Amino acid sequence: MGILRLSHVDITVPDLELAAAYYTEVVGLDISERTEDRIFFKCWDERDHHCLAVRLDARVGIDRFAFKVEHADDLAAFETRVERAGAPVQRVAAGDEIGQGQSIRFATPSGHEMELVHDVVKVGGRLPLLNPPPIAHGLIGIAPPRIDHILVHAEEVPEAARFFQDVLDFRLTEQLLDGGGHQTIAFLERSAKPHDIAFVQGPNGALHHFSFWLDDWDHVRRAADILAYNGITIDVGPTRHGLTRGSTIYFFDPMGTRNEVFSGGYRPDPDFPTITWTDDRAGRAVFYYEGVLNQRFATVHT
Amino acid sequence: MSARQGSGILRLSHADVRVPDLELALAYYSEVVGLIITAHDGDRAYLKAWDEQQHHSLILTRAETYGLNSLAFKVPEVDELDRLSARIEATGIPVTRYQPGALGVASGATVRFLAPSGHTIDLEHGMLQVGNGLSLINPPPAPDNLVGMHPPRLDHIFLLCEDVDGITRFFQDTLEFRLTEQIVADDGHQLTTFLERTHTPHDIAFLTGPDGGFHHLAYWVDEWNDLRTAADTCAYHGVTIDAGPTRHGATRGCGLYFFDPAGNRNEVYTGGYQFDPDDEPTTWTEAEMGRAIFTYKGQVDQSFMTVHS
Repeated sequence: MGILRLSHVDITVPDLELAAAYYTEVVGLDISERTEDRIFFKCWDERDHHCLAVRLDARVGIDRFAFKVEHADDLAAFETRVERAGAPVQRVAAGDEIGQGQSIRFATPSGHEMELVHDVVKVGGRLPLLNPPPIAHGLIGIAPPRIDHILVHAEEVPEAARFFQDVLDFRLTEQLLDGGGHQTIAFLERSAKPHDIAFVQGPNGALHHFSFWLDDWDHVRRAADILAYNGITIDVGPTRHGLTRGSTIYFFDPMGTRNEVFSGGYRPDPDFPTITWTDDRAGRAVFYYEGVLNQRFATVHT
Repeated sequence: MSARQGSGILRLSHADVRVPDLELALAYYSEVVGLIITAHDGDRAYLKAWDEQQHHSLILTRAETYGLNSLAFKVPEVDELDRLSARIEATGIPVTRYQPGALGVASGATVRFLAPSGHTIDLEHGMLQVGNGLSLINPPPAPDNLVGMHPPRLDHIFLLCEDVDGITRFFQDTLEFRLTEQIVADDGHQLTTFLERTHTPHDIAFLTGPDGGFHHLAYWVDEWNDLRTAADTCAYHGVTIDAGPTRHGATRGCGLYFFDPAGNRNEVYTGGYQFDPDDEPTTWTEAEMGRAIFTYKGQVDQSFMTVHS
């Protein structure tokens, strides 16, 4: 019932071939479909059609992010609730978008286009459903099993978080409050993990990063080796977050969109109490070992 | 939202396990496994894993024998106890209601019934929350006073019963679990099934065996390195390791099996995958059962299949 998890992120890239090379050979995603100006990628263990779509555009940026709902009639229920909250809802008919059935799209208070979708084309994972081995052979690059979360900016984080809590039934797991008690970071979940989406104070409509799951810290180290080998710019890490307790590396795709690989965290129940970070500990909240934020991390977004 | 149903069962909450020597069991579960004792009430003791917010995930009950008294699932919405009770009663199984506190220290409102597999199952709402020992303001990622294996939380339970097909259908149709994996015999019946409510490979699993049988209780650890540390901890304390560290074919998880001093099997487990409600289950054939249980060996030890409590 309601929103299940992050489904896919749709970004824009100025060079489709470069995006294809990087996301398949370095990140290690599979291409599930390609058109003249778009490429649809999925992780090897995902059974749904795509978790990342790139569209050719002069500008690097984000078109939208999409969450998957558990039941088909959740779409109508959310359409009503989102419109009641004052955001016009656009219905996308089945067949109008590649890889999925009907969906709804609307603008969040943070100025992002958000999509909710139920029917996603099942293309299957790399493992068979009969006597499968535990790993897929022939994986290259980092090869994360699935997408994990997205972090976007909002000028008014409290307003963005409230919309996700009140209208979309997300739960607030962690927050950072500035000296005046104003919420500047909010972490929200639907899938019993530290975050499916997070908001950090910044320009509306901007993407900070999207993140792929890795099973453990050892895989995070291996990812750093692969990034270094391929000459990819590592932004931060491998390190630990105070917020979420997760282990991480941030890096940039060749066009400038920030990616992350993430592991760890915890499993919050719906009645989990929210964790609060104070401004004087903001550095440790974001990078637990360093204790300080680097300027690039705080200011570069797409 | 949709009027169809509420959120139902969230996850496995706790198990009540019998031990003949409660003091010995407490020493083992607190110092070797590294659970935290939250209450000790005569013939019963209550323990939790460090990162759990709730009062307990394991109850140890002094008894003549070893084995499982009951297992409990957490139900976050109190109204769901009524809805789930009606579903259970509709199958002809009577339920008993208990007020908060009636089933022991910190217990919430509970619906208890005897499953067709011979196991006593509780659906519980509102167990006392005690916190995870970390501050809710600027917390470090873990406490620094943990001992033993110190898993962060309970993960799943593995039971035995004669009619795996029947109990699996009951869990799917009545308790709204989803089937993630199954081992199917050559004659078509289910030998083993894995069922979930938490989008993980399993919250509960059933293996063919005697009704009411208890195979193991598993705590989560965050990664493979922690399984090696757990094996070191077992060896250091002279705890019998049953199997592992190794990889399971079914669930793809990695695990280490060992026995508590009373003879109840424990596991620490990590890995697996995320399972959507619209995903199809994975099937294992009887010929591949060894690999389904232990991927590296490709065969199941006799002790693993035959020793239970």
